[in-house]
Amino acid sequence: MDELLHRVKTRLAIRAHRKVRGMLDGEYVSLFHGKSLDFDDLRAYAPGDDVKDIDWKATARVGSPLTKRYIATRKHAVLLIADTGRDFAALSTGGNPKRDIATLAAGVIGYLAVRHGDHVGLVAGDENGTEYVPLRGTESHLERLLAVIQNRTTLSAGASRLAAQLDYVRRTFRRRMLLVVLADDGAMSADRDDDLRLLRRLHAQHEILWITIGDADPTLEEYADSTLIDVADGRELPPFLRRDAALREDFAAAVATRTRASADLLEKIGITSIRLTSEDTVIPGLFRLLEVHNHARR
Amino acid sequence: MELIYWWLPLLWLVIIGGVIGLSLWLGARRRERARSLAVPVAHSERLTQLPAYRSALRRYRAALVGSAVVLSLVLLAAVVMSSRLVSITSYQPEMRNRDIVLCLDVSGSMIDYDAAIVRTFRDLVDEFDGERIGLVLFNASAVTYFPLTSDYRFVREQLDYLENDLSSPLSDYEFINGTLLGEGSSLIGDGLGSCVMRFDDLESERSRSVILATDNYVAGEPILTLPEAGQFARERNVRVYGINPGDVSSKDYIAGYAREMERVVRGTDGGYFALEDPSAIPSIVDGIEAQQTTLLTGEPVLVRTDEPIVPFLLSLFGTGLLMYFGWRLKR
Repeated sequence: MDELLHRVKTRLAIRAHRKVRGMLDGEYVSLFHGKSLDFDDLRAYAPGDDVKDIDWKATARVGSPLTKRYIATRKHAVLLIADTGRDFAALSTGGNPKRDIATLAAGVIGYLAVRHGDHVGLVAGDENGTEYVPLRGTESHLERLLAVIQNRTTLSAGASRLAAQLDYVRRTFRRRMLLVVLADDGAMSADRDDDLRLLRRLHAQHEILWITIGDADPTLEEYADSTLIDVADGRELPPFLRRDAALREDFAAAVATRTRASADLLEKIGITSIRLTSEDTVIPGLFRLLEVHNHARR
Repeated sequence: MELIYWWLPLLWLVIIGGVIGLSLWLGARRRERARSLAVPVAHSERLTQLPAYRSALRRYRAALVGSAVVLSLVLLAAVVMSSRLVSITSYQPEMRNRDIVLCLDVSGSMIDYDAAIVRTFRDLVDEFDGERIGLVLFNASAVTYFPLTSDYRFVREQLDYLENDLSSPLSDYEFINGTLLGEGSSLIGDGLGSCVMRFDDLESERSRSVILATDNYVAGEPILTLPEAGQFARERNVRVYGINPGDVSSKDYIAGYAREMERVVRGTDGGYFALEDPSAIPSIVDGIEAQQTTLLTGEPVLVRTDEPIVPFLLSLFGTGLLMYFGWRLKR
């Protein structure tokens, strides 16, 4: 039942990530401006905590930095926006389906939110429709969200159209939320003005964290002997061309350019983004994302 | 141009159709299986929109089209080769098994004509191939100047020598030796009979002809009269061609001899040529040659010759090209 969330927790418990997990907590907390003035208790400082929250007197007394915690006046809302079109059933740069990386990233953020007593919701879908799973603050609810992402994203799902989900969010929610967008390499492009306007509009209302999940490199050696199919139209990518060394270089250069371009675009709007390429990069990546986001805002 | 195995292209068609059908079917099955194991990839336009990809695809397509064209050419060549393309020529086999005996009357009245005949034969020898030629001189008696032979070098030497003897003002008429041993002179019947007897190898199927140059003016007691000699020739299946410089109005006094000679000669299926001018001899001898040739050509024979060169070269170069294209495609 808790399979998906369990995987998230396992991921977070890996030794190398343990330290990050604490820092992730801190970074997560700092995401939200709105603090109530009702002091709750003190806790050890974690990197990423707002320096303003450090209780200097207590720190002097104890000898190690302590941070003030406040009782939140209301629950924060974290809305996961997942592209569950068949594009996400395709492979990521790392080799496993993009869906798995999306689930893991959504799970980590959702888990942080749930642990902080915040509510997590999901807007998922493809070109055929958008599904909204309301905001709740329980782990079982989070598990359900992750299951929705996992189960919707199949090769037989509709084509991806993230703009539809973003537009759904624009139309539906009036409350300020933290939007966590799970997109892929194809989602952002400078030549789609409508999308840019939509993003600006959403950015004005919400905090946005943009997670790009890198697409597979079809020119990789390891795919040389397998049939590659573009999920968009089911067409095969002829293997002979993928072996071309010059083409491989061209492709790598083009991907780099494109990635930089979409990151620049998001940055111009004011949205922090990170590109995740494999499951291993999820936690460090998310940590860097939160860190960058918090620093950029201050 | 014709195919010997005309039905083979049809067989090829069936086989090629079958192979294409089978490979399409297998390919479809393989592709289906591959599809179920296929690796899904999104946004392949990142690759397919690259100019390098497009040009590589273009090159690949060109190589595909090229190999398809070459393959069909090679197949075509294979079909043609296996069906045995032949060219058909009909040819008239010329029998090169002629024996010709020149039978020259060397009495004084004939010397001029003899020289012309000898000269013509000397020129003709260059064109001979397989014919045998012999030369008999006669007056009162006949002398074999040289027997039937195909040793053309020897023949040319002899004819040169004789021609010189016949026409040179310094001539010692050496060739006359042995021709005056009969009762009188110009014993034409004896001469023809001797010439007919010069043919050897009578069992084998050869064309035998005598070119008899004489004015048929007999001065003496021959053993054989001309008609008897003609009869003898006919028995032996020898054609006699007569060249008679005496059969002219200026020598009307021997017209009776000319008539006789013509009759005898025609009786052997030969030809009779009356003439005044020695320079007409070459054309007459050519005429005899030509007549002989047409007489001696056999049934026209259809010859079918295999013509594999073009399809062979085509398939050779085609296979080379195919290997090149294959290398290009596999690379």
